[in-house]
Amino acid sequence: MPDNQSHSDSIAGAGEAEQPVKVQARDVCVSYSGKQALNHVSIDVPDRSVTAFIGPSGCGKSTFLRCLNRMNDTIEGARVTGSLKIDGLEVNDKSVDPVVLRANVGMVFQKPNPFPKSIYDNVAYGPRIHGLALSKDELDAIVEDSLRKAGLWDEVADRLNHPGTSLSGGQQQRLVIARAIAVNPEVILMDEPCSALDPIATAKIEELIDELRENYCIIIVTHSMQQAARVSQQTAFFHMGNLVEYGTTEDIFTNPRDPRTQDYITGRFG
Amino acid sequence: MSVTALIALAILVMLAGGFYAGRARAIQAVEGNTVRLHSLPNYHGYYVAIWTGLPALLLLLAHGMFADKVVENLTYAELRREASSLNVQLNDAIEADGAYESLRTEAVQLRGRAEAISADIQRLRNATGEDRDPELMDRLEAERLDALNAVTAADEAVLEREGELIARVAAEARAEGAPVRALAGFEVSQAPREQRQLFLADTLNIARGELPSRESRELVAAASIATRHQNQLRFLIGGMALVVALAGLARTRSQVEPAFRARNHVESLVTALLFLSSVIAILTTVGIVFSLLFESLRFFSSVPVSEFLFGLQWSPQIALRADQVGQSGAFGAVPLFAGTGLITLIAMVVAIPIGLLSAIYLSEYAGPRFRATAKPLLEILAGIPTVVYGFFALLVVAPAIRGLFTWLGFDDVATQSALSAGLVMGIMIIPFISSLSDDVINSVPQALRDGSYAMGATRSETISHVVLPAALPGIVGAILLGVSRAVGETMIVVMAAGQSANLTANPLESVTTITVQIVMLLTGDQEFDSPKTLSAFALGLVLFVITLIMNVVALRVVQRYREKYD
Repeated sequence: MPDNQSHSDSIAGAGEAEQPVKVQARDVCVSYSGKQALNHVSIDVPDRSVTAFIGPSGCGKSTFLRCLNRMNDTIEGARVTGSLKIDGLEVNDKSVDPVVLRANVGMVFQKPNPFPKSIYDNVAYGPRIHGLALSKDELDAIVEDSLRKAGLWDEVADRLNHPGTSLSGGQQQRLVIARAIAVNPEVILMDEPCSALDPIATAKIEELIDELRENYCIIIVTHSMQQAARVSQQTAFFHMGNLVEYGTTEDIFTNPRDPRTQDYITGRFG
Repeated sequence: MSVTALIALAILVMLAGGFYAGRARAIQAVEGNTVRLHSLPNYHGYYVAIWTGLPALLLLLAHGMFADKVVENLTYAELRREASSLNVQLNDAIEADGAYESLRTEAVQLRGRAEAISADIQRLRNATGEDRDPELMDRLEAERLDALNAVTAADEAVLEREGELIARVAAEARAEGAPVRALAGFEVSQAPREQRQLFLADTLNIARGELPSRESRELVAAASIATRHQNQLRFLIGGMALVVALAGLARTRSQVEPAFRARNHVESLVTALLFLSSVIAILTTVGIVFSLLFESLRFFSSVPVSEFLFGLQWSPQIALRADQVGQSGAFGAVPLFAGTGLITLIAMVVAIPIGLLSAIYLSEYAGPRFRATAKPLLEILAGIPTVVYGFFALLVVAPAIRGLFTWLGFDDVATQSALSAGLVMGIMIIPFISSLSDDVINSVPQALRDGSYAMGATRSETISHVVLPAALPGIVGAILLGVSRAVGETMIVVMAAGQSANLTANPLESVTTITVQIVMLLTGDQEFDSPKTLSAFALGLVLFVITLIMNVVALRVVQRYREKYD
């Protein structure tokens, strides 16, 4: 349970939200086979900005991320309660088709997971299954556009038919991001997208995230406090399944209100 | 107890003693403070024991394996020496004998004639168009047969005359009181190869105190020579083994000291042992392949390779008499290849879809409870003996198929058909494909599935676009394994597909396969030098080559399309 605050107080907001709220969570709880993983999380995430989730391992930040595109559905014994709205639409509603939802909420995983296909087919995967392109030319355009947005076009333009797995780790991760934005989502979830990459590849991805902020609502889970400070506008600190503190990144890192946040960002635990 | 067994026992005792000696010496060398030893005392013990026992025991083993052969050769050489004067006499007799000479000349002439006819036939066979004359051909064939029979008769006459001369020389020698051993040597050195081997085998039997196939004064005399050689060899090897063991014990025991690296030495001996085991496995394979190869070459010396590989007629009967119909048999193996291919095809048509789809269901859709029950049940299919599948095919499936197709209006559906054998074989192969594919599909990383789901793909889209392509190399491997099972399967086809070598694509007819023919050719009493039995080796070789090619292809496919996941 969160601290003894009333629910109305515990609704965390970023304070100076210039952007409209994109994702709104109220009292979201998740349990895996009866084991509580997330306790009554309420949060408002603004559109067209980067929000970082930080916290020690097992604190529930990834779990929360996976609620947003209902990836928890694929896990046996997962139970999600509470209200979770994207653009005012209830995500956990029975009428919502997770397949359609996931096309709208892209996700990038910890380890680059390109499919065992060519670079082109990797990016074209989403548009193909959702029927977004009516002709080959249109599909080509989508693929090129997505690869450009992911900053990968110049590196792979002449070898689109090479297998996606032939790229380096950092390129693979950008390929996966291109794959995600090819279906034109509104929200992009990133689950520790740089933890398997070297510093140079990480810098490229961070640069990319900063560019993508113009058009998407990005939520990133990270273990690196420096990364959160560098790329995000809002930061949320999770601890033991609770959302401890949420505010602008600047506030969290310079003036944390909760002692646990302070301990964590100064490296005293976690 | 025999001397060799006693020596072996003594060496075993020395081996055990060596262990304790090495161990005790190691402990004594550091005055009980074993921490100062480089290796644990037991390693010193092992080291001494191994070098005491192993070489000596290997020597005894080699003696056991090769002693008979050595004794045989020694005995034969000695007998020949004894008989050398008689052999000279025989040569003189042969040279002096006019009848023998004329018989020889006649045989040579007849052989020349037969070869001339063969050449004519060959020329006619190559001729085209109007030059072709079937009647002349038939006549020539008949002539060649006569000529060949005449050659055989002439050769026999030569041998017979030779036998008479041998008998005469032997009788004269006996009358002059030549030693029995010389006579034995003469008998064995003049006999044809098979008889010589029989004589030597009997000699060794008598020497070992076993029952020979016949008994004669000459044999007993030869056996006494063999016994002498046997004993000499036994004592020589036994003594050598003891010396080797003692030397090993003395040498290695003296090496034991605190800094001696007994542990590393034992380690390298273990490595050598492991290496030896794998070499034995490889050598066995090589041996099998070579025996296949050489017997096949013998077969191909009487039946041309092209006829075997491309001939359309398979009836491997060999006539018992020269004038019997179909004397040479027909060894065109195409009907067998076709039958094997047809049945394999039917089996794979059954096994691939069912196996693959069940693997997909089990790994991607089924709940853990269903999976836990279904997978072992499916694998039980793999444990059913193929002979049981065979009578299932014969007694249940074949009549059902016959009934069904007769009802559908097909005429003369064979009781034993390619279809029933193929269907049942397909069922047999399902567990191979499903179990292996299931493992492969399960090993596709969950991250790939998550990636696909996160793109908004449904489960079946994820499976067909992501999981199956990722698992493809393994699935191809599983299928090729299934195919080589099907090609090599024997029991089901013997029982359900029949034995008639029909060249047909109709699955309702009875066909036969390579494996079935091998069984047919080699069961029962067979002579091992007729083309009929030798053809089994050629078929075996073909089967081996097919399986080998399939394995190589499977390996290449797997390597080529392997995706690296870490």
